[in-house]
Amino acid sequence: MEPLLPEFHAYRGSEPPRFASPAELECAKVLDYYGIAWDYEPRTFVLEQDEAGRVQEAFTPDFYLPEQDLYVEITAMKQSLVTRKNRKVRKLRARYPGVKIKLFYRRDLERLAQHFHLDLAS
Amino acid sequence: MPADVVHADARIGEIYLSATELARRVRELGAEIAHDYDGREPVLVCSLKASLVFTADLSRAIPILHAMDFVELAGYGSSRMGGHQQIRVLKDLDLDVRGRDVIIVEDVVDTGLTLNYLVRTLELRGPASVAAATLLDRPYRRLVDDLPVRYVGFTVPDELYVGYGFDIDERYRELPDLRILNLS
Repeated sequence: MEPLLPEFHAYRGSEPPRFASPAELECAKVLDYYGIAWDYEPRTFVLEQDEAGRVQEAFTPDFYLPEQDLYVEITAMKQSLVTRKNRKVRKLRARYPGVKIKLFYRRDLERLAQHFHLDLAS
Repeated sequence: MPADVVHADARIGEIYLSATELARRVRELGAEIAHDYDGREPVLVCSLKASLVFTADLSRAIPILHAMDFVELAGYGSSRMGGHQQIRVLKDLDLDVRGRDVIIVEDVVDTGLTLNYLVRTLELRGPASVAAATLLDRPYRRLVDDLPVRYVGFTVPDELYVGYGFDIDERYRELPDLRILNLS
């Protein structure tokens, strides 16, 4: 059974968000707490297509902050495993130069957890 | 603070900014603020608690008339959230800031979430202007841009700190130097 979500006030999506990890849920709660408008996975960016136009690689950042026009990708993975996401962010920036995206690394999350006492256990 | 007390807690690391370096930079900021607000009488709004020491020093480094007031917000995850899912003010200003020049004094700005809330809240009260002075800045961690951070003491790496207002479980705010906080 999925955990009961809190009532979000700054969520701007239409469907209830289905978070992939406790870290994502906690970050959503932090954004909501401070009244920062947010949406969850509202857009998928195509990164690579084959010659027939079929999507070979895509990327869906976790959060979009409409008032900041900023996408945020949360990753609680080990630093050694972040390389793949880093590569995707670089490709996204190259293909969509007008899109602002920020990757929150494991270290960033730990800092947030220390500062805000987040529950990042997964 | 006796040296043996500092050395007894392994979480308190090496000095990152000495009291001398801090004092020099605070004097520079004070002079800058005095120049910018010459002929006016700004209100320093201290965001409790970690910026208290910085605010006290900064105030004494500003050689023009100014007022001082305090605000405290319930930080996310703190015991004082009280089950609320939206931020709330624990200690509000005593002064009316309508028509006044406000300078919010922060210990550190990183994501910008707290400062953004403070700026939005104070702007509803009709001040003449709102600016922010922060001792430490981590601009690379910003989630909220477009903040009026006009005075920055030091842009710092992604470390945690103790001393000069920064605490560990409410201890060590009185340490004169800013030290690295070791968590591991």
